[in-house]
Amino acid sequence: MHHAYIDKFAYQDSPIHRLDARVKFIITVVFTAVVISLPRTAVSILLCYAVGPFVVLVMGGIPLRFVLKHILYVSPFVLVLALTSPWYDRTAATVVFGPWIWHTTVGWMRCWSILGKFVVTMLALISLISTTRFANLLAGLQRLGVPRLLVIQMGFLYRYIFLLIDSAHHILRARAARSAGGVAFGRGVKFAAAMVGSLFIRSIDTAEHINAAMQARGFDGNWRTINRLEVRVVDYVFVAIAVSFILGLYLFVKPVLG
Amino acid sequence: MVKAIEVENFSYRYPDGTIALNGVTLDVEYGQRLALIGPNGAGKSTLLLAITGFVRGTGRVVIDGMEITNGNLKQVRSRIGCCLENPEDQLFMPTLFDDVAFGPLNMGLNSEQVRERVNLALTEVGLAGMAERAPHHLSAGQKRAAAIATVLSMSPKIITLDEPDGSLDPRNRDNLVKLLVGLSQTLVIATCNMDFAAAVSDKAAVIDGGRVVAAGPAKQIMSDLKLMTSHGLEVPRKFINGYSAA
Repeated sequence: MHHAYIDKFAYQDSPIHRLDARVKFIITVVFTAVVISLPRTAVSILLCYAVGPFVVLVMGGIPLRFVLKHILYVSPFVLVLALTSPWYDRTAATVVFGPWIWHTTVGWMRCWSILGKFVVTMLALISLISTTRFANLLAGLQRLGVPRLLVIQMGFLYRYIFLLIDSAHHILRARAARSAGGVAFGRGVKFAAAMVGSLFIRSIDTAEHINAAMQARGFDGNWRTINRLEVRVVDYVFVAIAVSFILGLYLFVKPVLG
Repeated sequence: MVKAIEVENFSYRYPDGTIALNGVTLDVEYGQRLALIGPNGAGKSTLLLAITGFVRGTGRVVIDGMEITNGNLKQVRSRIGCCLENPEDQLFMPTLFDDVAFGPLNMGLNSEQVRERVNLALTEVGLAGMAERAPHHLSAGQKRAAAIATVLSMSPKIITLDEPDGSLDPRNRDNLVKLLVGLSQTLVIATCNMDFAAAVSDKAAVIDGGRVVAAGPAKQIMSDLKLMTSHGLEVPRKFINGYSAA
């Protein structure tokens, strides 16, 4: 079965792909923190911030359609938060952007701010994931001091989540093949519970097999890997450009609230 | 004389009391390729687990002259590598390199030695240049070869393989046969596919109901129509008189 792997484009080759995973990760975290910390009145300047990840995506050869699709996948959670904002705060506010003036409410500004920040930070996140192999990202996290157990768990999650999804698809297909006349709600709930139970048992089974495979190869509880990451001159250049971009925007591009 | 594998009167019951292996006695010489053949549920996989020390019952299992005990499992497993039935269970690391390097790193080898072993193992199974690929981006045949590479990189004297031909198309199966026949290690291969067993093995053991009912040269065992059919098996095409592979 084919999945839309989140690192589908991470195996391409481009100057961005060749950058060290740690460098890209740190820049993404800093960029995200700065964007999130912007005041809610900074909706218009979020466009300037979006230029950074957009350039990275273009240089990395990541199709815009893929990016938009993934933003849409996770948007429902943020949409609920954003679209309820106008109801909570109806204080009048005026936004000035160059020669244009809007009369609105603080709630609507918060709504646009949440949406804007969501899109910009998602662009940054997708540009990181799409230009960095997950294995390198995990290795980078480990070198950056993220607890080893957490990194191992993320690795296993990424490795096996798709197999679990496959199993669920197979069970659903088997049910569909035997339920030509449709399934009543009560039976559907029973089936869902049985499916979760079955997946749980399969997961335990898989975990036992993996444990056997690890022990067969001498695993003694210590997780050993070889560091294959290397920070080069081009990484320092990227850091310099990215920091200048973020710092420049943060210091010199200020929101205007009338 | 020391043999690669010696199993003496080994018995094992599942936790629910079902007898899985019942007084199994079997030996394998160094360099031999043994096919464990038998119907589903005969005890083939359990015997492989016993040989690799994952299943402990009564009787003796001696690997490369070393009887398996609780205290020497690590030494035993540095001499015998096992390929599980499902390669997805064997390939648990984010990249092929990390997976193949996992065993050598646990053996205490340094980075250079590990890299060398990874390159050699991947080249041997025909996956040279694919070290940075993620396991989920490999085909079924490549996953099977990669699973074997994870074991080869540890340079074991003996390798066990559980249904290695499962879900492989004929071309990939042929490639696997070539790979296995080309290995210098002692191999123990559990399979239900008699043509595959005939192609890779020089010795065969029929297991049924948890017992070894016959063992000997592969051709002698697998061309015995009465023996094979009485245990739910078939004579491989290679050993049917008048059959031509061409």
